Amino acid sequence: MAPTTQFELAQPPNDAISSLVFAPDAPTRLLVSSWDKNVYLYDTHTTSENGDAEGGVSHGTLLKTYEHRAPVMDVCFGADDNEAFTAGMDWEVRRVDLESGEQTPVSKHTAPVRRVVYSKAHSLLISASWDSTLHIHNPSNPSLTPLTVTLPGKPHAMAASPSKVIVAMTSRLVHIYDLATLAGALESQTGSAPPPWQQRESSLKFLTRAVAAMPSDGGYATSSIEGRVAVEWFDASAESQARKYAFKCHRQTDNTAAAGTTDVVYPVNALAFHPVHGNTFASAGGDATVALWDAEAKRRMKVYQKFADSVAAVAFSADGRFLAVAVCPGFETGMEDYSGEGCTKIVIRELGENEAKGKGAK
Amino acid sequence: MGKKKRSHPDVEDILSRPWCYYCERDFEDLKLLISHQKAKHFKCDRCGRRLNTAGGLSVHMNQVHKESLSHVENALPNRQGLDVEIFGMEGIPEDVSQQHNQRIIQNFYQAQADRYAATGNPPPGQGSKNPPKKLKIESPDDIKKRLAEHRARIAAQKAAGGAPTHTPPLVRPMARVLPRAHLLAHSYNSPFPPPGGQYPGFPPQGAPGFSPPPQYPQGGFNYPPSNLPSRPGSNLPAPSGLPLDLASLGDHIDQMIRDLERGEAAPKSATPATAEEPAPEKKSKKDKDKNVRMVYDDDLSPEERMALMPRYAFVPQAV
Repeated sequence: MAPTTQFELAQPPNDAISSLVFAPDAPTRLLVSSWDKNVYLYDTHTTSENGDAEGGVSHGTLLKTYEHRAPVMDVCFGADDNEAFTAGMDWEVRRVDLESGEQTPVSKHTAPVRRVVYSKAHSLLISASWDSTLHIHNPSNPSLTPLTVTLPGKPHAMAASPSKVIVAMTSRLVHIYDLATLAGALESQTGSAPPPWQQRESSLKFLTRAVAAMPSDGGYATSSIEGRVAVEWFDASAESQARKYAFKCHRQTDNTAAAGTTDVVYPVNALAFHPVHGNTFASAGGDATVALWDAEAKRRMKVYQKFADSVAAVAFSADGRFLAVAVCPGFETGMEDYSGEGCTKIVIRELGENEAKGKGAK
Repeated sequence: MGKKKRSHPDVEDILSRPWCYYCERDFEDLKLLISHQKAKHFKCDRCGRRLNTAGGLSVHMNQVHKESLSHVENALPNRQGLDVEIFGMEGIPEDVSQQHNQRIIQNFYQAQADRYAATGNPPPGQGSKNPPKKLKIESPDDIKKRLAEHRARIAAQKAAGGAPTHTPPLVRPMARVLPRAHLLAHSYNSPFPPPGGQYPGFPPQGAPGFSPPPQYPQGGFNYPPSNLPSRPGSNLPAPSGLPLDLASLGDHIDQMIRDLERGEAAPKSATPATAEEPAPEKKSKKDKDKNVRMVYDDDLSPEERMALMPRYAFVPQAV
């Protein structure tokens, strides 16, 4: 039999997944945050003794769960594989010691916390909340008073590149902050937030859904609820800005409709750049597919076979060998009783040697 | 009389349909043909990419998959070659194009002849004046019966001692009609046989079935005149309606006339044909803003919507 390149993790979360992330060092350590108020820590490549008996259909081991008071909206690793930060619906940002399971509140917003990112290089923890603020901490120096940055809109997506953090908000607002400047402002303890390094309008006309930064620090990709992805560069020069582009994706043509063909447009729920092949990124859509794109060559490299349900999140492992895909029902307009219960899965795909390697610009 | 709209297209219409060099299928319009070619003949079997031409596919296979294309997929056995560069109707060799047209024409007339034979309808343009539906062909039995009646009548006249002067005018038309009816029923060789010569030969043929009808009406003198005058009129056009070779010949002529008529209209019909080229382009642009249904369309993010649900809602404790 051909080697299994794709498998489902045993013991998936009980409800929809909000985010998943691989550890910065170990390529099989995966953290998953869920709407069922838990954060799950998996080892994706060991099979537990008491795993299910269905002939090894399920893989991986659930190492630990970390219960929160409210649904967990985002999770990220901290300085090492044993530290994590979570963004909670309960307005709190928490530090979780993955070894001991100990949770310590780091910050408190006045609304649910949507995203949380950690920059190892600058030892900065940034949380974005629907109270339209960013809280900036230095977890390694808790004595510093956290910095609060007021945003012009509710943040929905945030991503950090080596030197920048991109915050995408309502009304198509995008602010880019320089991490070194933020760190300096936190260090100085003046309490005054630095202005954004750049302020942009999203290239996409609809609500931004996800942001991912290029590991090369060259630029970033955004996606919207209207089946579209945009790629742009930090460099403000005219020629760099001329390189930016956007394209449609995660759409399906429905021929069954009475009034001719209908284009069904799904939200692009998540984006992730490949840590090794920095021009490759994955997009995850409400159409239950994940596609790999070559940002430089502007080419689609691959579309994976449809998953059982909408894809809520994607992540590459630090070594780029694995792709984790969070599968759970997508929230659609008009839904009154959403539940991801029993339909939530985590699929791990082992990538081939050159599966995510782009061809470069032509 | 205006031309009736038929469900069967003109041969001209069929000939003007775009068709695929590789599989001889024809299509409603050029756009469909091109999309057919891209899907059936120029599609990469490795990655599903649809190229515009066989050459394009060959280059694609070479560059992307490092393979060489040996033949065109789904093509007729003698059309699999990569040497001809086909795009839609462009690039079809002249001889192949002529073969195709000939085949179309042949099939068309065959189908038309079959149709006329099956329905008994006349070819267009010939049926209106003399609809052959009114044509009555007497079966041999009918003819024998009439002959018998006639003979019985003559016999009755003779028996009555009447002068035989009335018979010749009666016999003559009969003689002219009967052989013809007889011939039509059996062979269509000669439309106008010499009346006199055939008559003597007839009675022996009819004799075996002959039995004088006992109920023969005495007022029989009225019978032949009432029957006869209608016959020549209905009989004469029969040859044009019946024999198939003549019918299609007539149709050929009919077609030639229409071709001539069309010759003048041709330049006019040619302009829409060329204008059709950009038309699909426009249509495809329109397609872009066809019906769109967004699965999620809201100013609030899905997470905010979900956070509003009691299931996930967080009620902060009063601090």
